[in-house]
Amino acid sequence: MQRNRIGAYLFSFPSFFLTMALGIYPVFWALRYMFYDYQGYGTPKFIGLENFARVMRDAEFWQSVANTFVYAGGKLIITLPLSLILAVILNRKLRGRHAFRAIFFLPTIFSASVMSIVFYIVFNSYNGIINQYLLKLNIVSGPVDWLGAAHAMLTIVIIAVWGAVGNYMLLFIAGLQSIPEDVYEAASLDGVNPAQRLWYITIPMLGPVLQMIVMLAITTSLKGYESIMVLTEGGPFGKTEVMYLYLYKLFFPLTTSGTSVQNIGYGSAVGFTTAVIVGLVTWLYFWMSKKLNNVY
Amino acid sequence: MTIRKMLIRMPVWIMLIVTAALMLFPIVIAMLGSFKTNLELTTGATVFPSKWQFQNYIDAWNKADFSGFTFNSLYVAVFVTVGTLLVSAMAAYAVDRVAFRGKKLFILLQSFTLFISIGAVVLKPQFNLMVSIGLHKSLWGVIIILISAHATAFFMIIGFFRGIPKDLDEAALIDGCNFYSTFWRIILPLLRPALAVVALFTFRNAWNEYILPLVFSLSRPDLQTLPVGLANLRYGAGAAVENQLMLAGACISILPLLVVYIFANRSFMQVTMGSVKG
Repeated sequence: MQRNRIGAYLFSFPSFFLTMALGIYPVFWALRYMFYDYQGYGTPKFIGLENFARVMRDAEFWQSVANTFVYAGGKLIITLPLSLILAVILNRKLRGRHAFRAIFFLPTIFSASVMSIVFYIVFNSYNGIINQYLLKLNIVSGPVDWLGAAHAMLTIVIIAVWGAVGNYMLLFIAGLQSIPEDVYEAASLDGVNPAQRLWYITIPMLGPVLQMIVMLAITTSLKGYESIMVLTEGGPFGKTEVMYLYLYKLFFPLTTSGTSVQNIGYGSAVGFTTAVIVGLVTWLYFWMSKKLNNVY
Repeated sequence: MTIRKMLIRMPVWIMLIVTAALMLFPIVIAMLGSFKTNLELTTGATVFPSKWQFQNYIDAWNKADFSGFTFNSLYVAVFVTVGTLLVSAMAAYAVDRVAFRGKKLFILLQSFTLFISIGAVVLKPQFNLMVSIGLHKSLWGVIIILISAHATAFFMIIGFFRGIPKDLDEAALIDGCNFYSTFWRIILPLLRPALAVVALFTFRNAWNEYILPLVFSLSRPDLQTLPVGLANLRYGAGAAVENQLMLAGACISILPLLVVYIFANRSFMQVTMGSVKG
């Protein structure tokens, strides 16, 4: 038994070491530097809460927070109902349901950045594929500026929905499979229609699973920035700048847009603030869904 | 089936087919477009290429250096997969089979890394650590950091351990195996189907990773992986942006996953569904 214990330490050590060095340490590193003035060179200077005062005043950052909520909200309002409906349909013994599931899930296996390049060619305002088809079919008179200031956010949301629906559909299917069949049988004897069945049986019965899936969806959509970075870099005029992209630019300024400069101390403070915002939203969601549960 | 029943089902089928078409649209566009000329791609408004340009793939492979990107992607993905499986399977074995001090703390640390996210902030200290051990100009910096993010794989494998009865370990012990040989000879072979699923998941994530190889290749363009090299084409190093090469490159990146997915999509989906069932 004694020897097993040594073995257990040996076997868990690589995992422990890597997690500490590259997972935990960076968090504490950031917790330290958020109190410093540090641009990446020279000696870091302790400035107390000055960085946080600057976060509060940083209009560009709060604009990116607002954009994040528009982006996440838009993505969730389309993704969640659509994926739930698809899940309900494909959870039944429908012919070809496995093929449909596989097709809907397909987008989730590809790299967000690679697909953003494809979407760039599809949505490109000047000579994109969608515009070519729309013009040829005489649906529009001039090219639609999909990635311009007016539509860029909408385009970003469409792409995000495309990449996410299959994932949440599958999570919902997994949840639906835990609902016993006889509940539905009883309901069908009572003459319940499909819409009522969804609203009065399926959604309440999903309960905690639904709560978990929605929470996962909220946090994931607040954190997403990879495809936006490839597609628009937050532009035009900061219209699609989300908070995690703003944060990235503080550490690794993008050479192509070149507006921001590296600022490690301030970046750490912004990182902390974004994490708090995500935490607050999660907490608020939990609080609200608990209230709703009490109503039932 | 009665006519009435068919009429009720019509909207459902229309919805399924329309959604499926929208899901497949960009992928089909990418594949067909990768065989068009740049001119046809940007002005043609055609569906199928008027003349199939297989040359695009040769140009992407040689001229745009997709051979190098593919090699780097493969290199990273293979070592990350092997490393992640080994590190998490060993840790899972220790945690599931032995009672040792600090076990609870260990599990807490793993879940902590899953839930706390401060975004790009962590990249800087991670990169600095790699500088201090001289791996910042190597793909191994990327590989080690990606292996360190193995909490998901760890929890997945722990889940599978429950399916292997502990009596088996004891039987192996009586037959002369010790803690280590039980792992290599008994547990790992039994875990093989589970490890295959985790490997698929890990390989896909490493193959698709964008931000980390981007940061590591900022000063070393020869370290670019497929997603990084491809995204850089968007701002064309030279004069004109060559859309047809971008689509050929995108297809080079997505085709391996697509082929695996066609044969093993149940395994891909199993990972996602497992996360809800717990």
